[in-house]
Amino acid sequence: MAIITWRFEYKEIWRAMSLSPTLLLSVIIFLPALGALILMIFDKKAVETMRGFALAVTAITFVLTLLLLGHFNPSDPGLQPVFEVTGDELKLVQNYEVQDDGSIALSDRVISAAAIQRGVKLEWIPGWNINYQLAYDGISVPLLLLTSFISVLAMLASWSINKLHKGYLILFLLLETGMLGVFLALDFFLFYVFWEVMLLPMYFLIGIWGGPRREYAAIKFFLYTLAGSVLMLIAILMFYFGSANEALGVAATFDLTELANIGQGNVAAITFSETTQIVAFILLFIGFAIKVPTFPFHTWLPDAHVEAPTPISMILAGVLLKMGGYGIIRIAFPLCPVGAAYAAHTLVAIGAISIIYGAFAALAQTDFKRLVAYSSVSHMGYVLLGIGVWKINESTGAAIGRDYWLMGMNGAMFQMLAHGVSSAGMFFMVGVIYDRVHHRDLNQFGGLAGIMPYYSGLAAGIFFAGLGLPGLCGFIGEVFVVLSAWNFSKLLAIIAAGGVILTAGYILWTLQRVYLGPEYKGPHKDELLSNPFNGREASVAVILLIFAVVLGVYPEIMFGLMRESMASLVESLDAGYQNAVDSAMTIKTTLK
Amino acid sequence: MEDLGKQLSTLLMVAWLLPFFGFCIEVFGGYFKWRLTKTAAYIAVGCIGVGFLCSVVAFMQWGNATDWVVFESHEGEHHVSADHDEAAKSHDEHGAKHDEHAKEHEHGEEHADEHGEKAEGAHDSHGGHAKPAVQTAFSGQIYHLARFGELDISIDYYIDSLTLGMFMMVTLIATCIHVFAIGYMSDELTESYEDHFVHTSDGGHFKRPGRFYRFFSYMSLFCFSMLGLVLAGNIFQVFVFWELVGICSFLLIGFYVERKSASTAANKAFIVNRVGDFGFIIGLMILWTSCGTFRFDNYEDHHGHEQPGLFQMVRGNDGHVTQDGDAVVLKDVHGEPLTDASGSTKTIPYMLLVAAGLGVFCGCVGKSAQFPLQTWLPDAMEGPTPVSALVHSATMVAAGVYLAGRFFPMFLPEVLLTIAYVGCVTLFVAATIAVVATDIKRVLAYSTISQLGYMMLGIGVGGWGAGLFHLITHAFFKSLMFLCSGSVIHGCHHEQEMPKMGGLWKKMPVTAFTMLVGVIAIAGLAIPGTSIAFSGYHSKDAIVATALQFVDDNPVHILLFIVPLVTAGITAFYMFRLWFYTFAGQPRDAHVYEGCHESPSVMCGPLLVLAPFAAWCAIGGEHGKLFSILALSEPASTEVVHASHDIHTAAGSFALVAAILGTLTAYLLYGKTIVDPANIKRQFSGLHTFLVEKWRFDELYDVMFVRPSHVVGKWCAGVDKYIFDEFLHGVVRTGIRVSQWDRKFDEGIIDGLVNLVGNVTFSIGRSLHVFQTGNIRQYVMFIAVGVLMLFALLFAFSFAILA
Amino acid sequence: MDELSGYLFVGAVLFVCGVICMTTKRNGIGVLMGVELVLNGANLNFVAFSRFSPLGLDGQVVALFVIVLAAAEAAVALAIALNFYNNHQTIDVDRGNELSG
Repeated sequence: MAIITWRFEYKEIWRAMSLSPTLLLSVIIFLPALGALILMIFDKKAVETMRGFALAVTAITFVLTLLLLGHFNPSDPGLQPVFEVTGDELKLVQNYEVQDDGSIALSDRVISAAAIQRGVKLEWIPGWNINYQLAYDGISVPLLLLTSFISVLAMLASWSINKLHKGYLILFLLLETGMLGVFLALDFFLFYVFWEVMLLPMYFLIGIWGGPRREYAAIKFFLYTLAGSVLMLIAILMFYFGSANEALGVAATFDLTELANIGQGNVAAITFSETTQIVAFILLFIGFAIKVPTFPFHTWLPDAHVEAPTPISMILAGVLLKMGGYGIIRIAFPLCPVGAAYAAHTLVAIGAISIIYGAFAALAQTDFKRLVAYSSVSHMGYVLLGIGVWKINESTGAAIGRDYWLMGMNGAMFQMLAHGVSSAGMFFMVGVIYDRVHHRDLNQFGGLAGIMPYYSGLAAGIFFAGLGLPGLCGFIGEVFVVLSAWNFSKLLAIIAAGGVILTAGYILWTLQRVYLGPEYKGPHKDELLSNPFNGREASVAVILLIFAVVLGVYPEIMFGLMRESMASLVESLDAGYQNAVDSAMTIKTTLK
Repeated sequence: MEDLGKQLSTLLMVAWLLPFFGFCIEVFGGYFKWRLTKTAAYIAVGCIGVGFLCSVVAFMQWGNATDWVVFESHEGEHHVSADHDEAAKSHDEHGAKHDEHAKEHEHGEEHADEHGEKAEGAHDSHGGHAKPAVQTAFSGQIYHLARFGELDISIDYYIDSLTLGMFMMVTLIATCIHVFAIGYMSDELTESYEDHFVHTSDGGHFKRPGRFYRFFSYMSLFCFSMLGLVLAGNIFQVFVFWELVGICSFLLIGFYVERKSASTAANKAFIVNRVGDFGFIIGLMILWTSCGTFRFDNYEDHHGHEQPGLFQMVRGNDGHVTQDGDAVVLKDVHGEPLTDASGSTKTIPYMLLVAAGLGVFCGCVGKSAQFPLQTWLPDAMEGPTPVSALVHSATMVAAGVYLAGRFFPMFLPEVLLTIAYVGCVTLFVAATIAVVATDIKRVLAYSTISQLGYMMLGIGVGGWGAGLFHLITHAFFKSLMFLCSGSVIHGCHHEQEMPKMGGLWKKMPVTAFTMLVGVIAIAGLAIPGTSIAFSGYHSKDAIVATALQFVDDNPVHILLFIVPLVTAGITAFYMFRLWFYTFAGQPRDAHVYEGCHESPSVMCGPLLVLAPFAAWCAIGGEHGKLFSILALSEPASTEVVHASHDIHTAAGSFALVAAILGTLTAYLLYGKTIVDPANIKRQFSGLHTFLVEKWRFDELYDVMFVRPSHVVGKWCAGVDKYIFDEFLHGVVRTGIRVSQWDRKFDEGIIDGLVNLVGNVTFSIGRSLHVFQTGNIRQYVMFIAVGVLMLFALLFAFSFAILA
Repeated sequence: MDELSGYLFVGAVLFVCGVICMTTKRNGIGVLMGVELVLNGANLNFVAFSRFSPLGLDGQVVALFVIVLAAAEAAVALAIALNFYNNHQTIDVDRGNELSG
């Protein structure tokens, strides 16, 4: 490996604290795993020490992701970190900008794009051209922040776990490694590995620490996700073998950027055929849609959530579901734009159905956690809706109203972040009350506002965020997505907009049944009175609510991070599809 | 002018944000030592009071900077203008002084009022609505929400005379109501508030700590949201604050969270509003996709080019909608057709623009409780009375009318006609229900709906100024009446049923008197032939006149004139019925009467402040100050209708006759009791029941929407449980079955084959064991015999071969 | 009748006598003697064939092997017989049927 030196053109303060980005990325991913290893040598009776240690690990990981944010250059649409290749030496470039002609200017010098290496790349399994390849851009950085942030909060919520603490903490940290890896991996194979790494700890976390039907829920979760993984694996292999061209001496690759280039028709002589793209897209989409989850692949979610312990529900809703959306944006769309364009209408329809269906199903639930789980289905429907609003002029292949699609994409990303905050908060709030009264039957609550006013106030705030109240995070994502949808399809936009009524219906009805009213009607009232809302719980809720407000009032804080990357993604997809249409036209004319 | 825009926006933003800071402090009231004192109320009153002063100062500055063009264009006399300058200056000084004594703001208001009256005499003619040359409207951006390519969503402000008028009205009324609430809510200042409407399971009344601070925190949040709505510079921002006032309304209606009826009413209010917002969103989607902006006014994009706002796009410079076939041509800042990147003209299909207008109007229907979404407002009376006064009569529900007025240029004739008919149906339906209602607050609630219907009708028939005129006058007299009813309820220890009252005139004279002012105002009474008239007369007259003008132009819509005219009579009837029922006659319930007392001065004060506004704020009618202020903002739209003088006179006389008839009937029935109303009730018992049941809308919606959605919800959950999950279970079961077969195959066939070989070998051995006797001699014998046989075979074969 | 058949005839008589002895004698020593007879009958055949065929001394060599083996076998067999006697107080081979299946 070449020697890597780096220099920082700005923010001198980072220099003292910073690691090389190469190292930093790896440290971010593997620090939790390392923490898990160290946890193994702890005495299993030292519960508080272990909790404190695990919390410290997640907190340090969060700080490291903030450091990464310091490295991140939001005005650069491409992947980062960026290295300038000069002979055997790689230099980190921080200050440069993309010119109109596509070249990249560094200070006063112009370096051609070929001399720029984006992302960290180390050989892993050379025989198969598999690399340890990591990078970040405006799409992954916000989600990375969300992951490490929610992990800290979920760890704070983990004090309610009351058995097998050591194993729980170890699995939790392993899970975090998997999640962070997914958002940073740039090699498809590596991505797949992290994807699976995340799966197993989750299985055990639900299956061992869950509620009464935990085995059922864990197996259901596992089966669904594994089915998705298998489909994804097939697609991976299709891409891998499709990317080689022996005549030209081009080796097969798992590199997502290269695969995306091929998919978008930017590589001479190698293309994925239309059929390949469509089939691969469908496989990938089902794989990711199970994770999102969208109608009709969603039934694992309520069970998994209901049975999972509170912190795991928070992780599940706050981060795991986002991987589906991330996968669609990062992989399914860029690798097969033709397939994506082909399926756009279905995507939007599924999104709209999920919104309405999830809301209706939530309306009928009597289990508090199940209701919140269905609200997740409904809210994640907006993500799919926003991603899919790609309206295409059939004759030229150009996008109609591309800015609206861009808005939908951005809205979908924002909705993922917002949902990460609000749903994690909602699950936490349910958990707080469940820890005390040990039941979740909506018809046996009531009067909590009188008994626990502070808790109820915070809960109302967080539930309002879920309801999509302006000034809180849920509103921005939902309304931007819906606004962008009219350009695509009037009917589907109206259906999606109908969700606002139902959402208000089930959330307000829930608030009424749980928090309002004169008296608490269910069992364990004594515990409710003897066990007040404690500082640790309050801090989790307050932090989440503050974030909900900040995101809701000043969404630019997130849009600013993702704007350029999203714009360039949309632009390249548009161009990619036009390429495909052009070449198809050329073939047609030649045949004539 | 740029500076003026900055100053105005700064002032109004201070007025807007102050209640929010108040909210941030008050909401944590439970954690402060002063949780059982009136501190929270003082903070809230201070915030909104300073807000009022800021609004007035802003108005004065705006007036000064625009050379009082608002009045000048009608007066054309410079000395009056100079007079105003002085008055404005003196007022500024007052304002500055009162900044220090925020609590004494009432003086400031009265001063403003006097100032308005003084200038009144100079008015005699009401000219056209020609746009003055001076810039009177200001817009700008507060901050960015997001930008996607060329699309841009931000938080803006738009300030014109309507904004300023609304700001002053909202802050003034809010201040009065806040002060009133100090008295009204004072029984919350205890550690153990006993709620007589809630029974615990052990049979007693429910007790809880008082929540005085929380009431004021919600009120502050509401003021913030409402002012944000008025200040909004784009329709998206209106939507944002639209939802926020909705949630404040939710919180305030459900203030007594322990009461099931209150929390249900709160839910109903919010959800019904969301139904309207559903339409609103569709309207937004259409506009956003077709026009690419939400801003009302022209703006500078991030390239620094001036871009047209929505109004400019549709109306251009002259207020005309340009059509190209079935499409409406969008216009740029110069009024020329707007072109996109490829050079083709940007248009929006005519019907789509109609749909957009209807969509936005849907939002107004929800918020302003218009037919068919009117059902939530009466239930909203579950909230404390000051809430009903502020949120559910004067401000929030008027926001729908405000938006209809603000968004007027975007409404095509079809939309306006819909608005007019919706208003027409609403005002009639609500008025009929009000006639039979016996709960004092519900009567007022229905009258609110009915009056909002008048406003919508006014806007719908093109009387832009008339509708908004009525909005302001109604805000004053209705908030006054609600506060009076609050005073009655407070005095009678939370008794709201009018049949248990009667004769309260003697017990609470201030309340009764101020209420009478409000009743006369809303009934629209005036002394014929003189200029002595209460505010309601002027504004309702303006609406009825515009309606008559409209009907004159389009005779087919005759109902739009007849119905409001008849309803004007009904209005006078039920309002006087309320007054006579409550205050006049003999006490009907001795218990209530005995316990009744006049309210403390902190509650009577606001009544006395509001009463003159309710009576005279509209003085001068359409030649008066208030109307001129509003009329200055009248949009350049060809749909605006102005009633001619003759029609005005005719309509005014009709309306007055109707009002007087209604008043007389009420007097005869409830004042003099020449006919016992109970007899009439018995005569028309079917109709009476129908009206008492509110035209059965609640039942209808319950059957049509609420229950079906629960059923569909159950279906969805059922589909998940019995179809998707069952499918999955089926797959898993099949998998298990396959594996069971596999096990059987393994155990039965593969293992069986192997075992068979073993078993056969074994059994052969077992059957051969008889030869293994262990007897050596036998073995030798076997060998010998075997050898012999082998030989014999050998020989036999060799012979056979040889042969 | 040529000379070879004579030898073969004697060998066959010896062999048959040995076999009959083995099958009829119940005394273990008698059986051993029958075995010796069979072996010697076979030896006679080997020597005879060797003498009357162009095979050289092969037959005689085999006969010598057989004699040596017979001696060894006799030693082992007598030891078995002694042991048998120790265990059964007799050397009647019909009494020793422990190896029956």
